[in-house]
Amino acid sequence: MENAAYVGLSRQMTLRRELDIVANNIANADTTGFKVEQLLLGEEVGERARNAFVRPGVSFVMDSGVGRDYGQGALAQTGRTLDFAIEGEGAFFELKDGVGAAYTRDGAFTLDPEGRLTTQGGAAVQGDGGDIILNPALGAVAVAADGTISQNGQLTGRLSVVRFDTLAVLEKGGDGLYRNASNATPTAANDVQIRQAMLEGSNVNPILEITNLIEIQRAYESVTKMIENTNDLSRRAVERLGRV
Amino acid sequence: MRALRTAASGMAAQQLNVEVISNNIANMNTVGFKRQRAEFQDLLYQNVERMGAQSSSQGTVVPTGIQIGAGVKAGSVYRVTEQGSPTQTGNTYDVAIDGRGYFQILMPSGETAFTRAGNFSLNGEGQLVTDDGYAVQPNISIPQDAIDVSISKTGQVQVITQGSPEPQVVGQIELASFFNEAGLEAIGDNLLLETAASGPANVGAPGEPGFGNLLQRYTEASNVDAVSEISALIIAQRAYEMNSKVITTADQMLSVSAQVKS
Repeated sequence: MENAAYVGLSRQMTLRRELDIVANNIANADTTGFKVEQLLLGEEVGERARNAFVRPGVSFVMDSGVGRDYGQGALAQTGRTLDFAIEGEGAFFELKDGVGAAYTRDGAFTLDPEGRLTTQGGAAVQGDGGDIILNPALGAVAVAADGTISQNGQLTGRLSVVRFDTLAVLEKGGDGLYRNASNATPTAANDVQIRQAMLEGSNVNPILEITNLIEIQRAYESVTKMIENTNDLSRRAVERLGRV
Repeated sequence: MRALRTAASGMAAQQLNVEVISNNIANMNTVGFKRQRAEFQDLLYQNVERMGAQSSSQGTVVPTGIQIGAGVKAGSVYRVTEQGSPTQTGNTYDVAIDGRGYFQILMPSGETAFTRAGNFSLNGEGQLVTDDGYAVQPNISIPQDAIDVSISKTGQVQVITQGSPEPQVVGQIELASFFNEAGLEAIGDNLLLETAASGPANVGAPGEPGFGNLLQRYTEASNVDAVSEISALIIAQRAYEMNSKVITTADQMLSVSAQVKS
């Protein structure tokens, strides 16, 4: 009897979670290198308790995972020498911080007091041979499309850009960082291009997100209505039975 | 309701963005001003269902997991130290730096401050000072009987005095450079201070490797680009509106639930 209410509840809970994710997408619409996310839903077939051959089964809604769209975000010119964007999907700048290896698409780098290239959060950007040390006094830093860094025509290093065989091994760590949640080893991504003095925007599509927002709200309202109707039905049934 | 707080973080971030943009626009005509840019990062993620967790006794694992983000934060607001365009002023003591480096200024507290604003003048003793009367380091004094003052590309200050046709060297302007210019702390009045993030100042003469040249009778305009600031302002406003829309939606969903009666 209460199945209808429980099915409604399972949908309500997933809608709440979908709203949380849409809210995070919209909040990060202006975050450098942010990748849009979506809740993946599945059908969870409930066990039939009794009369298995007479009554049909009941299915609930279950969230099975969060899908991340690693599509390219729009590149915007910033004019800053130490801003880098990756043109090509699924590749990341390799970083090293206190926790270990990290990966990012946010190429707004800076120099620390020793001249090491770091993220704004202080994680060291990795090159082919470890940390990248630059001396600004040697001249303007120029980075070629393959990540080669040169100053005044002299080679000083190469940005390490890597990719994973499967992107599902990456876990978001906040601060624009991704962490490797498995023991898979990344390989150099030679097919992507590095653009200097540019940053990659988020790939959030605002119109799509606002549409999702409306859909979530309406679905939530209709499911709530359904739960109300189920409640009404049971109340009336109890009243009628009481009169007999 | 996490969505409410997430959207609130988005609104707070856009508010900061508008503040940074408005400061840039307000300083569009400030000599030597470097525009700032707010950089956003996503906040921490909550693992509702960890990826790689066992999903059955057969050893299958959750491929993607469920991570829900908690919104956005301002990662940093940094100065874009791009060159501003030199503007001719005709004033003898206006000096612009074309390239890297900062003028050194002695503060009343005894500290050394750094600036790109080279609109200097003379004080009562003939010393080269900023608008606020703080002396340029190393000290440069112009004799009272000087007819003409010239500041060379490499920072040499020469004067021609009454009755002597030979120019006399009275001082040398030196510049300071840093590994991480973005790490300098702005203290207002176009002045910056050295910090642990900027690294120590490296002092040298203009024109040496790693230092820019000086241009007399020019000042460096701000590097604010009005068109890109205005479009950034529009983007910030729309993003703010969208976050407020999320708050409305989350609120309405809560109210729908609250109205269910049994």
